[in-house]
Amino acid sequence: MTNLNNSRISRRSMLRTSGALVAGSAVIAACGGSTETGIARIGKTPTIATLPEVKLDDVVLLRTAMSVEQLIIDMLNDKNVKGIATNKDQALIAGYVEAHTSNLSALAASIQKKNGKASNEPNDKLKRAFGDTALELMGEGKKSTDVMPLTHALESLLAATYQYFVSLTADSALRAEMMSYGTQASRRAAVAAQQVSNGIKAFDFQYDKNGVQVVGSIPTFPSAFGALNAVQVALGPDVEGAPRAIVVMDTPSLNSMSYPSTQE
Amino acid sequence: MVNHQVDLPEVTATSRRHLLASLIAGTAAVAAAPMLAGRASAAEVNAPRDPRDFASLNEALKRERQMAATYAASVAKASGDEKIALTLLHDHHNAYVDAIKGYLGSDASKSNEAALASGSGSLVQIATQLASLEEQTVTLHTASLGTLVGLNAATLIASIITVEARHAAALALIGNATPLAAAGA
Repeated sequence: MTNLNNSRISRRSMLRTSGALVAGSAVIAACGGSTETGIARIGKTPTIATLPEVKLDDVVLLRTAMSVEQLIIDMLNDKNVKGIATNKDQALIAGYVEAHTSNLSALAASIQKKNGKASNEPNDKLKRAFGDTALELMGEGKKSTDVMPLTHALESLLAATYQYFVSLTADSALRAEMMSYGTQASRRAAVAAQQVSNGIKAFDFQYDKNGVQVVGSIPTFPSAFGALNAVQVALGPDVEGAPRAIVVMDTPSLNSMSYPSTQE
Repeated sequence: MVNHQVDLPEVTATSRRHLLASLIAGTAAVAAAPMLAGRASAAEVNAPRDPRDFASLNEALKRERQMAATYAASVAKASGDEKIALTLLHDHHNAYVDAIKGYLGSDASKSNEAALASGSGSLVQIATQLASLEEQTVTLHTASLGTLVGLNAATLIASIITVEARHAAALALIGNATPLAAAGA
């Protein structure tokens, strides 16, 4: 028997056509811009401004290094640090500040060579994350014995920052430059540690006869390799029946880098 | 006019079977793309060691072997707290030897290096001598960073430099340098 079919639309062609229609609609919908419907509703949100595109490059790393150096200068020069330091520590701090200031000039020159714009602002995110808290605690405690532990923590943080930046820096010559600043910070950290716990016994962790780490001691060499973990320091007034406040300092992260602003 | 529709064997590429197969293949490709992309970036991160770095890293290895031998000589002649402190630094340099050797694998040079100093004298004399050697080692490693191509190699050397700079400063202090001089400030 022969089937007679007068229809021009076969099942196959219908499937094909509808498939093409769906795909086409999806493409058109994706290409189309979003428009506000204008329909009033509760909780209608304003248009969200898109974040500017930022790129992490060597100039950003150099600018961030400058911002951390400047933050440390500001903190060491603060009345709650320099103001309560012993005369001996004040002399050391003045030398450290001078070294950081010299680094700022060198970093600015490196940025200029890469056609970037230097920034002399302290790192705002890090300042808010731990800088302000540390200074507040120093002001409350007013302990001259806290000055060198804080200095040690800041210099250790800076050394770790430069070490970390080696893994992010594209230009190999700049990696060497970064580490030359890092070695200076490491040296200053070791000297600060020795001001707290001095002599060869203080090279390693110090424990009492019960095997408990001596409170307030700082090992000059806490590890064989440079660590990138957060630096911790106990600061502030003594609180009866409770440990002292611990300030945790972290190296800059992607959200605390000094990206050039669009105005620059 | 009468149309005669005859079912012919499906030979076109747009048959239902083909369409379904294409859809499945396409979906699989879309699903696999991020995974493959992830693998690609992981492969970049764990890039193989760059042979251009071997000579420089073997130089670093040689220097660390020399430093370890120097500390071993000092430890052998020391006693008490001095021995404990020098042993700690000796251990650090042995760790650097192991780390660089581990990185180079079969491309690591096989050599026994002699000590760079006798390691004898008073603690102040030994510390001054070792501080100078540590400083030279830091300078050598920092200079090598400027030539290293591999990022992993650079990261390893940087982590060594950080602590060796501490060695140099602390030993300089023990060697009676002023704090500011020891800090290099």
